Amino acid sequence: MNVLEVKNVSKRFGNLVAVRDVSLTVKKGELRAVIGPNGAGKTTFFNLISGFFPPSAGTVIFEDMDVTDLSAQKRVVLGMARTFQITEIFPELSVYENVRIGAESAAGFRLRPWLSAVEKSEIRNLVDETLALCGLTDKAGRLVGELAHGHQRATEIAMALTLRPRLLLLDEPTSGMGDQETYEITQLVRRLHRDSNFTIVLIEHDMRVVFHLADFITVLDQGALLAEGTPKEIEANPAVQAAYLGKAA
Amino acid sequence: MSQLILFNITNGLIVGAFYALMAIGLSLILNLSGVINFAHGGFLVIGGYLSYTLTPYLGFWGALIVAPFLTAIIGWLVERLLIRRVYGRDPLYSLLLTFGLAFIIEDGTRQIWGAQGLPVSVPAALSKPLRYEFFFITGYRLFMVAMVAVLIVLLFVLLRYTRSGIRVRAGTLDLETVSALGINVRALRSLNFSVGIFLAGFAGVLAAGQLGLDPNMGDGLLMPSFIAIIVGGVGSLTGTLLGGLLIGVAAGVTAVFFPSASDAIMYVMMAIVLLVRPRGLLGEEGMLS
Amino acid sequence: MIKGRTSRLLVLAAIWAALIAAPYWMPLFGGYTALGSRVLVLALGAMSVNFLLGFTGTLSFGHAAWFGLGAYGAGFCLKWFALSSPLGLLAGTLLGGIAGTLLGALLVRRRGVYFAMVTIAFGQVFYYIAFQWSSVTGGDDGLRGFSRQPLHLGFTTIDLLNNADAFYYFVLVCFAAAVGLMGFILRSPFGRTMIAIRENERRARFLGIPVELHIWIAFSLSCFFMAFAGALYAELNNFADPRVLHYALSGDFVIMAVMGGMRTFWGPLLGAIVFVVLQDYLSSVTVNWMSFIGILIVLIVLFFPRGILGLIRQRSAA
Repeated sequence: MNVLEVKNVSKRFGNLVAVRDVSLTVKKGELRAVIGPNGAGKTTFFNLISGFFPPSAGTVIFEDMDVTDLSAQKRVVLGMARTFQITEIFPELSVYENVRIGAESAAGFRLRPWLSAVEKSEIRNLVDETLALCGLTDKAGRLVGELAHGHQRATEIAMALTLRPRLLLLDEPTSGMGDQETYEITQLVRRLHRDSNFTIVLIEHDMRVVFHLADFITVLDQGALLAEGTPKEIEANPAVQAAYLGKAA
Repeated sequence: MSQLILFNITNGLIVGAFYALMAIGLSLILNLSGVINFAHGGFLVIGGYLSYTLTPYLGFWGALIVAPFLTAIIGWLVERLLIRRVYGRDPLYSLLLTFGLAFIIEDGTRQIWGAQGLPVSVPAALSKPLRYEFFFITGYRLFMVAMVAVLIVLLFVLLRYTRSGIRVRAGTLDLETVSALGINVRALRSLNFSVGIFLAGFAGVLAAGQLGLDPNMGDGLLMPSFIAIIVGGVGSLTGTLLGGLLIGVAAGVTAVFFPSASDAIMYVMMAIVLLVRPRGLLGEEGMLS
Repeated sequence: MIKGRTSRLLVLAAIWAALIAAPYWMPLFGGYTALGSRVLVLALGAMSVNFLLGFTGTLSFGHAAWFGLGAYGAGFCLKWFALSSPLGLLAGTLLGGIAGTLLGALLVRRRGVYFAMVTIAFGQVFYYIAFQWSSVTGGDDGLRGFSRQPLHLGFTTIDLLNNADAFYYFVLVCFAAAVGLMGFILRSPFGRTMIAIRENERRARFLGIPVELHIWIAFSLSCFFMAFAGALYAELNNFADPRVLHYALSGDFVIMAVMGGMRTFWGPLLGAIVFVVLQDYLSSVTVNWMSFIGILIVLIVLFFPRGILGLIRQRSAA
């Protein structure tokens, strides 16, 4: 079953075409990496998928439903969660409170003036489980704003997970991290994919991470689709090498 | 009847031009610095009173020129000493700061010039009606509109063709890039603030000739300026000008049919604009929204 | 953790004890009971503003409109419809709350400085209406000819009108009920979404929270609280005039909240005490009290933006 089908989307900002006629299909349980040199339009493409802004042309289909015209918030409710390249968290709240807001929203409790004891314990269990999965149990009481970057990112992922998303979009999960933190986040994403069977699309900069994690790789260059395939195929693709080397030179 | 309507439309245009002058000053400051200047009405009052004090020495024309400049200098000092400190902070703080400033200015004006209103006389050449049939178009009103038009045209020319003007416009659109280009944003904001206050001071001198002086007079003129900006669209000076004229005319026309609703009509217009076109008539999408 | 909870309970107990005993200790410092009632009512207003400002991160600079509508609503009710203090409060709360909710729908898509500007401008509508429509509102002279009524409790009747202490306790009970409800909402799942929006609107949206709807509800609740405070204010003064609708009063409420500490629940109460007492004192000793208030505001903005409680909290954390 296809979780995500993106058909011929484009995005123009005035005269600039940031994304040009890109298509993409992601199957259930797949981990797809979107890569490309700087300015390739990866984040814009991500924003089109998650509904941050609407595409200028093309359609986005999520689990057989056309979501092209739906707001980001509605797409989240349908089961699409995302994280951002620059971590988006609630800095003055504790890790536990951050994750609880996600859990309560996902459970449909967001407008409730109170919760029953049963509901409270459901939320508590979900939060505790998610924190454990993301290795944050011992950080639960700390303010997120005071944590190291890697733990902030893990909190952001934990918040996304409480939504029990059927598609998880991660925008450069290891950006700005040192080797140790990169390793930890990579392991976390790997667990989510292998053990918990999440369907994941991620943008990534660090090729070690990409080749370590991805089932399939999509390469964008200058807003357009350059190549698509398994890590092996992409590694051997001369057009991809040219695009990267061309930028590097 | 038609003469009455014509009277009120003309009257509305005159009032609207005046609102626009006030609102454009506010809008300049809001666009570049993100500050809603609550004290704008206070600076208007300062301009009016300064011209009152200067007229015996400089005459009407001398005061008309000098008083706005003095007001602008006061504005420049206030910006350097106070306003500058809240740039980049939550808009709450600039609102409160200028709110407090408005208190101080109102009280200071009362202390210096007295709580009683003061009458202001204008040169005889300006106070006569132009023609008997159009008794309402006094020379002074035409003069006000002409001065407003000259000032606004001058401002737009400066913004389009001078280096500082172009920088102000660029800064309105993208302040980060402007500052990345090595332009001194602090100095630019100071200059821009002073220009805005100059316009307020000038409006004060003109208003004094029409309405006389009163320490509270800025208060009643501040709200129409806010509404002109919202109706015209935040971020667009042309929009602010259009907004000012529109609410002036709307108030004028309403005065014919429902005199007591002429103040309220501006608010109705604002509500309609917010419902139908939330960014305002000429506003940019996403600007400060 | 337990220590934190105990000290919080102690602080709460101290606050309520001080409020309950106020009629007995205030005269020692030159205060009078009506001033205490005034402080409570304005504090409730400041806390309602802060409900939105401090906990949703949305600045309304026109909240006096809902306060004022509450005051006029109570006045109309007592003057023409029902001679009952509680019904007056109900009428005022409904008038201001419903008007705020309706206009709020127009506002919620705006943010930051734009939101503030639109709230100021809309707030002034009611000022002009009250000013112009003198046949109903009494115009500039204000709405007169009504007074708060004795409270019939079945077994006894409390004379609120002539017994200042009795009225103080009536206000205190109302204050406690409103503040208790506010605290309850802020601790609910809905309250947590408000804080989420304050902390990071984008993240809230990407957790599936419809941000505009939640801001609207928070705005509406805040308007109802505000109108309730306004209705109490009318019963306190037996009078309502257009100044209770003016944006200058909105500014006063915001400054009370900021002075006390806007990210804190009790800050606005502290801010209101300081502000109201200071204003009362200054206006009795100098004609230039406005300058002093203005200077105070400027100093707070420049040097104490976190307010009194914010400062204490920072100190104790360091």
